[in-house]
Amino acid sequence: MKKPSLFTICFAIFIVCWVFLRFFVGGVISKPIPNSVIAMYMALVFIAILVHISVEDTRFREFLRPIHETLVDENRQTRRLVFAVLIPLLMLGFTYTNIAKKANPPGDPRTVHPTPPDNLTYKDIVLGTMDEAENPHRHLEKDDPEAYKSHVENGRTVYYQNCFYCHGDHLDGKGHFADALNPLPANFQDPGVLPNFSESFFFWRISKGGPGMPAAGTPWNSAMPIWENYLTQDEIWDVILFLSDYTGYKPRTFGEGH
Amino acid sequence: MRIRNFTLLLLILGLFFILPFVHAQGATEAQNIAEGKKVYDNSCAHCHGIEGRGDGSAAENLLPQPRDFTRGLYKIRSTESGQLPTDQDLFDIITEGMPGSSMPEWETALDADERWQVVAYIKTFYEGFKESETLPKEISLKGKIPYSKESIEIGKELYTQFACYECHGDEGRGDGTSAPTLTDEWDYKSWPANLHQNWNYRGGNDIDDIYKRFVGGIAGSAMPMFEDPAFGLSIEEAQRYTQLDNKGEMTDAEEEEYTQLEDKMANAFDILDLINAGEGDEEQKKFYEESMKTFYEKSWHLANYVKSLSPEKRPEAAIGKNSLRSQYVEDELPPMDDAVWDTLEESYFPLVGQVIIEPRQFNPTIDSVSVKSFYNDTEVAFLFIWDDRTHNTAEEENEDIGKTYEDAIAIQFPVKIPKGPTSPKPYFLWGGKLAVYLWQWQASAPEKTTELTAKGINNATEQEFQGDIETESAYSKGQYKLWVKRALETDDKKDLQLKPGVFVPIAFSLWDGANGDVGTKRVISSWYSFVLEPVPSVKRFIYPPIVALLSLGLLIGLRGFMQRRNTE
Amino acid sequence: MKTKMFACLALLAACGFSLIVLADNHEEEDMNKLVFPEAYKVEAVANGGKISGVVKFDGEVPEKKKLAINKDQAVCDAVAKFDESLVVGDGNVLKNTIVYLMDITKGKDFDAEAKKPELDQKECRFDPHVQIVPVGIVLTVLNSDKATHNVHIFGTKKNNTSVNKQQPKTRKKMRLSREGVAKKAEGPIEVKCDIHGWMKAWIAYVPHPYFAVTNEKGEFTLEDVPPGTYKLGYWHEVCGTNNKAPVTVKVEAGGEVKQEFTLKVEETK
Repeated sequence: MKKPSLFTICFAIFIVCWVFLRFFVGGVISKPIPNSVIAMYMALVFIAILVHISVEDTRFREFLRPIHETLVDENRQTRRLVFAVLIPLLMLGFTYTNIAKKANPPGDPRTVHPTPPDNLTYKDIVLGTMDEAENPHRHLEKDDPEAYKSHVENGRTVYYQNCFYCHGDHLDGKGHFADALNPLPANFQDPGVLPNFSESFFFWRISKGGPGMPAAGTPWNSAMPIWENYLTQDEIWDVILFLSDYTGYKPRTFGEGH
Repeated sequence: MRIRNFTLLLLILGLFFILPFVHAQGATEAQNIAEGKKVYDNSCAHCHGIEGRGDGSAAENLLPQPRDFTRGLYKIRSTESGQLPTDQDLFDIITEGMPGSSMPEWETALDADERWQVVAYIKTFYEGFKESETLPKEISLKGKIPYSKESIEIGKELYTQFACYECHGDEGRGDGTSAPTLTDEWDYKSWPANLHQNWNYRGGNDIDDIYKRFVGGIAGSAMPMFEDPAFGLSIEEAQRYTQLDNKGEMTDAEEEEYTQLEDKMANAFDILDLINAGEGDEEQKKFYEESMKTFYEKSWHLANYVKSLSPEKRPEAAIGKNSLRSQYVEDELPPMDDAVWDTLEESYFPLVGQVIIEPRQFNPTIDSVSVKSFYNDTEVAFLFIWDDRTHNTAEEENEDIGKTYEDAIAIQFPVKIPKGPTSPKPYFLWGGKLAVYLWQWQASAPEKTTELTAKGINNATEQEFQGDIETESAYSKGQYKLWVKRALETDDKKDLQLKPGVFVPIAFSLWDGANGDVGTKRVISSWYSFVLEPVPSVKRFIYPPIVALLSLGLLIGLRGFMQRRNTE
Repeated sequence: MKTKMFACLALLAACGFSLIVLADNHEEEDMNKLVFPEAYKVEAVANGGKISGVVKFDGEVPEKKKLAINKDQAVCDAVAKFDESLVVGDGNVLKNTIVYLMDITKGKDFDAEAKKPELDQKECRFDPHVQIVPVGIVLTVLNSDKATHNVHIFGTKKNNTSVNKQQPKTRKKMRLSREGVAKKAEGPIEVKCDIHGWMKAWIAYVPHPYFAVTNEKGEFTLEDVPPGTYKLGYWHEVCGTNNKAPVTVKVEAGGEVKQEFTLKVEETK
């Protein structure tokens, strides 16, 4: 059997890489990868091939040989003809699909965790600055574990009476109402949620709900109710204790450095 | 080498087989129960109650209600009517959850051991599990009939013969004449399943699952164990019987045939009673076996038909590339019943109960609304389609389900289209500081759409100047259709003005009057977008040929260059 | 000796305590259900007595409520149907009341007719409205209509007999030998046809034959009662029971005891 030319090998590598990314990584291993990401990886592959063939002059010539042959060799008449038809046709199709492509609606560039106001309030009562306000029941965790437990239990009741419809039985944001919501409810099992914010931050997000967010958080889209209309201060603090107790993640505290 | 590998493989496989038994026997029942209680108290009790009565703190607003384990009544079973579920049944429900209810899957939150422990524990709530000496009888799936067009056709006829329509309606949308009065044994309202939305089937939507529901019934609910209405008759004979039964007048010969068939059934039912009582001779037993086989066959056909009513999976929400795109037509826009609407794909908008502002709706009955749209140079037409089991046109006092209100829908747009992705939109619940523009339609005035402006869910006003919105609507077989047509641009500043190619936010509010929906109690969607899909630009016919020609030229040029270099 | 006495005392105390616990459970169970003896022994009754009487209704007799028939009108609405939860006849007599002996432990067997209980579905109405079924006996359900019914006997903690079987119009007679046989006495239990939501009835699974259901004239009769003193109880769908204060009757050999009951609608119900 004839040894395949360098060009064929390079071409084959290129195709195999693409198939691997598109169907194996983005199918068997994980969810489909966006085309832009695939394009990025393929550019890398392309550069690698380019580096490989251009290191030596002879190798470069060897690489170009089949192209050269196809273009000018007398024996390659049919192949030449095929390419002369195929390449313009491909270009035709490519341009057409690109022009005729439907526009997609603009996305919502949304800050998932927007900046809170300076002061933490409940209705109109100021509870302190955002940095200072603390969960008044948190200290019980050390001082009076029994009392702490009862606060957590109270938080559990509050959670399952009010929150689990959207945030889910497992606190993973997959409640039975979540399907129809956009943006999706917060997932407290995500290690990037509880540990990254203070309890006062969660108090703010719960008490003021969607409409209480600054514009960057797209307050008009959030289905989070304004819970200070339904829950007492204690209930909100307790539900925060429950969130951290159930998931095992502690909200950030100030002074620990951030 | 080969042999050793093979032995190793066998060993591993063997381990896999033994594992469940080891697991079952490794821990004693008492340990399992004790462990199960811990898991139960932490994960289940808030709905099902510490004592398993289905009265946890979260139960109040849930419908269907959390299962009361002390009654021993389990809806989803793989066992025959009147039997307890198998352990595997309980395990499966915990693992997979119950779609369409608030019972989630527990596969991600609890490991298999924990789920088995919970099974052991919840069985302690009902003594019947201990008392029953024999294992519950499982429904056999033998003789399954493959899903095919022919089977679906037969199933469709059986759907009528078996009287499924009484509750599930002629076309299966859960709109049967008995639907409004159904309650479960706990006296809670229960609606028959909409067979066109099988993603809400509590016990799963495989054909096997559907079959089990027929044969075993859904204990505690109105869904009975099925009885073959033409027991002892073959499928063909049953068809013939129905045919004759529906006939107004019969000839003498037909009369005789009819009586014969009736006698045959009466005889078969007598034998059925005998066998059920543990009596009957060999011949009767044989006859019974044969007839039951036919009954199971019929049930498989029926299961296939029911399966065929729903799409393969729940449609994807109209986000991104699925966005609602109004299609351009040059001529007059098609009226509601025009067949041309069928050529358009529906955009699917899932809906959710409004639980933000009191009074709230925790148990919505409307799953979604589907929308199609056409536009021309001056006007736009929309077709809204949604399933609702009942047709309510007025506020009424209903003995069975309490007060009912009229059905309605409101389609919401912003008054001003946001300029870019970062510019603010009105609050998705009927606006706030920024106002929304609404089309409201109510079932009592089926040919009228009212224009509203709203700055909050409780702050909507009818527009002073009511523009010309042409409206048609229909309710049939559990489904509403609403068709509206409006000019793209109007003189009213409070109206939305439409231009092709501009994405417009859109959202919905729907009311099912039979479910107590009125005012803020309703089902809603968040913001989606729709666009009058621009007529594809003419450029698509000009640029591609140019590019093709250019590339050909490039090839020829390259060849010329090479040739020249070669000769040099 | 002393220790023995002590042990006996302790035992007695324990018994007493457990009795209290049992009684408590009983109380909790349901005041709206029938009360049964722990065991019942069948034996021949010679020269038994008779208890008879009338059940009357005290209070404003509500207007007969006509049922809304929303389907199968041709079959179901030929004869006007009324709500049967409270049927009061001339002279304020109350139909469909169960009158029974709560604590009888031995007596006659069920007669042949009682051992073949039949519940008919006729013109989309259950007949009878209150049905007595002996424990362990098969209930037969009839369908006299040209309509599909479903017999839905609610499940209970004791028997787990939630029976829900479709009865097509082609099946005139259905013996519930597999599903509808109660192992334990209890009741009355609600029966419903879900297809025709207004169709309701009650079934009581009973261990002995000293149960009577009042007729149109409000009359009941319990015959062949062995001489002795008994607690006489009643149950009515709307008016409830007298479980808290049953009437004590003394039956003499060959004698007849007359007893009249006057029932009111329970305020709590």
